[in-house]
Amino acid sequence: MDAPLYLRPRVDPPLASLLRAGTFLHSLVDALGSPLNVLLPETVAENARRFRAVYSRHRLTGRVYFAHKANRSSALVRRLAAEDVAAVGVDVASLEELRHALSCGFTGDRILATGPKDAEFLWLAARVGATVNLDSPNELEQLSALVRTHGLGRVAVLVRLSGFESADGHGGAGTRLLSRRSRFGTPLRDAEELLSALERNADAVELTGVAYHLDTTGVEEKVRALEQCVLFMDTCRARGLAPRAVDIGGGFGIGYVAEAGEWERWTTALSEAVLGSRPPLTWRGHGYGLRNEGGTVRGAVALYPGHRPTAGPGYLDELLSLPAPVLGRSSANLLLEHLHDLYIEPGRALVDQCGLTLARVLDVRLADADSGHHLVRLGMNAGDMSLEEHGVLVDPVLLPRGKPEEGEEGPVGVFLAGNLCLEADLITRRLVHLPRLPRPGDLLAFANTAGYAMDFHAHRAQRQPFARTVAVERQGDDDWRWCPDEDYWPIPSPGGTSA
Amino acid sequence: MRYDSITEAIGNTPLVRIDPAVHGLRNIDLYAKLEMLNPFGSVKDRPAWHMARPLLEGAADGDGTVVELSSGNTAKALALLAGMHGLKFKSVTNRMRVPEIKDLLLLLGAEIEELPGRSECLDPTDTDDPLTHFHQALSDPGSTYLHTDQYFNPRNVEAHAAGTGPEIVKDLDGKVPDWFIACVGTAGSSTGVARALREHDPRVRVLGLVAHKSDFIPGIRTIDEVHQVGLFDPATYDTIESVTSHEALDGMITLIRRCGLLSGPTGGAAYQGAVRHLRQADAELEDTGQRRTAVFIVCDRAESYLSYVRQRRPELLGRAGRGHSASALTDAEVRESARVIGVDEALRWTTTGEPRPLVVDLRSPHAYAALHIEGSVNIVDELFEDLLRGGLPFSKRTPVLLACPVGEKSLRYAAALTRMGHPDIRSLEGGIVGWRDAGAPLVRE
Ligand SMILES: Cc1ncc(COP(=O)(O)O)c(C=O)c1O
Repeated sequence: MDAPLYLRPRVDPPLASLLRAGTFLHSLVDALGSPLNVLLPETVAENARRFRAVYSRHRLTGRVYFAHKANRSSALVRRLAAEDVAAVGVDVASLEELRHALSCGFTGDRILATGPKDAEFLWLAARVGATVNLDSPNELEQLSALVRTHGLGRVAVLVRLSGFESADGHGGAGTRLLSRRSRFGTPLRDAEELLSALERNADAVELTGVAYHLDTTGVEEKVRALEQCVLFMDTCRARGLAPRAVDIGGGFGIGYVAEAGEWERWTTALSEAVLGSRPPLTWRGHGYGLRNEGGTVRGAVALYPGHRPTAGPGYLDELLSLPAPVLGRSSANLLLEHLHDLYIEPGRALVDQCGLTLARVLDVRLADADSGHHLVRLGMNAGDMSLEEHGVLVDPVLLPRGKPEEGEEGPVGVFLAGNLCLEADLITRRLVHLPRLPRPGDLLAFANTAGYAMDFHAHRAQRQPFARTVAVERQGDDDWRWCPDEDYWPIPSPGGTSA
Repeated sequence: MRYDSITEAIGNTPLVRIDPAVHGLRNIDLYAKLEMLNPFGSVKDRPAWHMARPLLEGAADGDGTVVELSSGNTAKALALLAGMHGLKFKSVTNRMRVPEIKDLLLLLGAEIEELPGRSECLDPTDTDDPLTHFHQALSDPGSTYLHTDQYFNPRNVEAHAAGTGPEIVKDLDGKVPDWFIACVGTAGSSTGVARALREHDPRVRVLGLVAHKSDFIPGIRTIDEVHQVGLFDPATYDTIESVTSHEALDGMITLIRRCGLLSGPTGGAAYQGAVRHLRQADAELEDTGQRRTAVFIVCDRAESYLSYVRQRRPELLGRAGRGHSASALTDAEVRESARVIGVDEALRWTTTGEPRPLVVDLRSPHAYAALHIEGSVNIVDELFEDLLRGGLPFSKRTPVLLACPVGEKSLRYAAALTRMGHPDIRSLEGGIVGWRDAGAPLVRE
């Protein structure tokens, strides 16, 4: 066999010490079943503080809004509700998320309602004094009508903009930064219509800021959008409106793989495998978007950049430090000098290191005799833990049931299959390398699944059990307490069960 | 030399020996092929002209746009060639990360389209890939695009097989070097030269250099990226090695400061990669009495990469401190020398002071224009720092109130001016933000 192509996960404390608490994790799965999601609420608060530290470094004011869609947990939302009210809020994208945030202790003034909205969602957001991030002039009219009909107070709104690439329209020679088209937001070229709608409905809504969310890892595009927002705020002011906040959305990202070298070796090997100059690394030679056209690799690799040198707060810092293309100052300076507040909506990045998903090994057998690779069937399916679907490639951590036997074999390549009788139900299409062959009863722990992977796609197909979710807290050195996610409150409690 | 057109000046570049005292190889003569001396500044002049010539001749009616996926040198040559023929040029790329190159292309009249970054949320059904759009637009029946297609066009290779390679042989008196070293971008120059040399003598060894995978060297590709190049064939190279941007800059500095060759980073990478690779062979030749030769390519010139250098090796461009400077003060010095004034007192001072202070707003003009303290003047901080170097910019009889966003920068400047002898400089505590938060008036004019 070739040298094992590991993609070992980045695990910081306290997730690292939780992974060392194998007996505790086994006892949890014994009691609550496989799969099981385990969350560390304290880490979400720590992450919020890291983002705040970037604000402080740039002397910026404003709020960090948790993009709730990343995880449905109560423990995480409640833990954030306990943070400084001026510093931390929540971004809800549905009526149910709004209700959940309220029930977890967020007051309306700390809530930002984003995403596609129906009348019920708009009404409740307006009723509780949330800020509504408006997607279109249409939504603005709908909200204003609700406010008037139901005698609600004036609602604070942000307007979400898009289409920044065509904003500084050069004729002929010039630079145009292309952007992926977005379904959301009002294109800047329709800003006039938006402004008159805001003026027309000034009795019902108050413009408090301008927003964007771009689905890209490219900081340049985001800096350009940020600057266009600052320029637009100026136009708003000239029209007598008084917005204060620029909301730059989420998408700060996570580095999933610990070592750059492992990520580089694996992706290079993928290209080589696609070209046929080495054996496949994937189930049936799947190329993750790459294909071989006459000896040249074509296509774009559909993978999350597993190792990211800057992600999360570091990415925010980079974005804020980059000079704006028109005005030249760093984007942090731009905000600061124009006296604007900064809002961000991190989802994935705020739940970095906040949890893991456990699955029990049910069965291990040889996938085919030629390759020597094994197929490991797990007590979960691809919907329970959708790292692969999000293009995130990272190895699970093997938590043996007992002590490994003497002289047990070294690294093995395995494919991970789920518990549905569908050919497609693979947990990974990638050959995963483990330090040794798992045995039935062992656990595999998928680290860093709290951002989207944990329950974004979970479904009740074949009546398999849903993953339950628990919150854990460290008590002293190697002692852990746990409680069901729904029973977690960020206050000292007599409840919870010690390991 | 007299030419009818600048295109006739493409090619026939010098081959210059590198002083052994610089590279330290005792048994190998190392030569630099100075492609940077082509008229448009790089090795790409040759393929650009060779690829574009038939297209330009075919589009003699002056309608159309030459397009290429290029982050620099090919774009530069094509923009000039297109301009000479009355056509437009458009570059599409996501690799143009060096601002001078972008500005230079704009100066040449090019239009630049930058491809967006990758998606954060993976959508496997995404069909909105900008490169796909690009190729669709090209194959559109009504399209007036002339695509030179440097990554797949065999004329890219031919330009070097017919020009660069034979010139090397000619300048080595009909002999082929023992090693040929080139950085791999489109693979055109390395493939073309290798072909010409091998036809003369198949024993030549070809070393291809790529950028270290997690690194960025403008103009060359990483090992994964070369697999996406149609002209790239691993069989062309006896060895492929990677170099880091650090090595590229080391090599570039050596070529510039010790050899008088005004090379850019890829020339530096080729030099450094060559010396690193040849050291072993050189040791083996010791005491055999044999001599060998090696040739590497200096692709382009240093001037376009100053901000790349500034980003990675700021000390190479370090301006020696001269005159007064606020940024040179320590925090303790700032605390000791600066005077601050709170918002309430500042309000009184600016409205009823005898004399009234001059209020200086250190923010950018755009922010100042949006909202400022009535009657203030705007001197943006970068400019202010320059002013201080020359001496006190205000009369000692004029009291001054300095304001910045949160009162941090103004504090530094207040300290610097105080130390320069101004008797009444004060920094607005909490800055314009504090002023606004206290409800004090701000105006736009
Ligand atoms: C408007 C908005 N804000 C925030 C987010 C969260 O992004 P992320 O989880 O990548 O930080 C999203 C994700 O789709 C979004 O659409």
